[in-house]
Amino acid sequence: MITINEITIVRDNREIIYDYSEQIPAGSITVIVGPNGSGKSTLLAAIAGDIVPAKGTITIDDAHPALTSAAKLSTLRAMAMQNQLYTLGFTVRQIIEMGGSADDIMEQLHLTHIADRHVTTLSGGESQRVAIAQAIAQKTSVLLLDEPLAAQDIDSRRRIIDLLKKLADAGTTVVVVAHSHENDLSWADKVIKDFL
Amino acid sequence: MKKYRSFANGLILLAFILVALSVGATHIDNFWSALTHPGSNEILWQIRIPRVAAAVLVGGALGIAGLMAQGACNNALAEPAILGTSAGASFGAVIAILTGLVQVGSVAAVLCGAVGALLATSLTFKLASLRSNLSSFALIIVGIAVSATITALVGLATTMVTRADARSISFWNFGSLSLITTSNVWSLFCVFIVGASIAWKVAPSLDLLSLGDATAFHLGIDTRRVRALALVALSILAGGAVSTVGTIAFLGLAAPHIARFMYGPAHRYLIIQSALIGASLLVLADTAARTVAAPNELPIGLVTSLIGAPILIALVSVKNTIWKTP
Repeated sequence: MITINEITIVRDNREIIYDYSEQIPAGSITVIVGPNGSGKSTLLAAIAGDIVPAKGTITIDDAHPALTSAAKLSTLRAMAMQNQLYTLGFTVRQIIEMGGSADDIMEQLHLTHIADRHVTTLSGGESQRVAIAQAIAQKTSVLLLDEPLAAQDIDSRRRIIDLLKKLADAGTTVVVVAHSHENDLSWADKVIKDFL
Repeated sequence: MKKYRSFANGLILLAFILVALSVGATHIDNFWSALTHPGSNEILWQIRIPRVAAAVLVGGALGIAGLMAQGACNNALAEPAILGTSAGASFGAVIAILTGLVQVGSVAAVLCGAVGALLATSLTFKLASLRSNLSSFALIIVGIAVSATITALVGLATTMVTRADARSISFWNFGSLSLITTSNVWSLFCVFIVGASIAWKVAPSLDLLSLGDATAFHLGIDTRRVRALALVALSILAGGAVSTVGTIAFLGLAAPHIARFMYGPAHRYLIIQSALIGASLLVLADTAARTVAAPNELPIGLVTSLIGAPILIALVSVKNTIWKTP
């Protein structure tokens, strides 16, 4: 369960999010939808503990991300960034293993055939799937994904959505940021729009 | 196969050490016999062995220092000379030596060099992040400026204050192994062990830091602490090396890159290989410096550039997927 209580987030002297509250239930898929610049990625980053709200609190299973050590936080939540950059030529397997065991998740996200490729050679969609796989490999109770479907083809989208449903059924709280042009959100248990 | 490749650089270093010990201005009769009987030959045991041992330790230290700089900054161009670390080490040691507090190569001089290195590197990071988040571009530009300023101060200090034991501007800018003593080698050894141990501890976290600060944080890394530890290791290693033998260019940049091209990006493995490659390059360069124009000696920093640069150019000319610049 994620509880967002009257948070205000200010960046560059501008209020991105103002006095916002929300409850995200455990074991469900919640999608945050909005156009560019609406603050949806900022909200996700605040849940992840990357940004500290100027006012209000966020809790993940009673823990405050802003007050929790990085090591402890990594056992509570995992996050995949939208544009993950890889500068060093680790293999796909090595990158996923930085999160946890890799074999199962590589199979489910159709990455096994590129397990030994250097991540510096991957396409945008493949890089994004590797980042998602790394986050899932952390096996946390909360999974945060920033636009995970943006660079994916139809098959990959289906695989990712199927996997997220399976994770939610198993008790994981999944929070996904999606662009407002996402038409079909029938796979989501809850959709958050217009949260400003 | 990979297992055998791991030993290749160790064997190459051993071969370079033996060549370095056997050649020089004076011929050593019965070299193998002299080598296996400690103290039997004064030139071998009093001059060449300390000098070659210093080359191994300084080269190894600069190789690891470069790896720490590149890992902490997540930047292919970072190295002790560019971040101001080497200049800071020279400054710390020169000021302490000129004021008569310490002697060149002593443990105290090494400590002063390490403190100067740490302060200069911290200054570079502080200035580079004044206006916004730390960017690679700002770090390199500010590092070059800090380095140039401190190098000028070292030049002014050595010119304005004359002390016979303070070494020349040429020594601090280009480095030299010609005045190494056995006690210097022990100081270097202690510095190497301390610096390399910190680097070894922080290395796995640098693998994660290569994914960017945000992702490293998501994976449980305290990025500030990891970066600070890497900079401490960098300062101790570069500070110890520079305060004893002056600034030796290019090793800190070239050794980690050569190691990465050969063995991939995992930092713990790279610590060993960067040290072996840095040591091999410096032993080779020093052997060339004292034999090519004998009895004159060439500045060691110039020789390391001449040997290391073509190797690095050859490696980056080959299509590679080991380091991608965003």
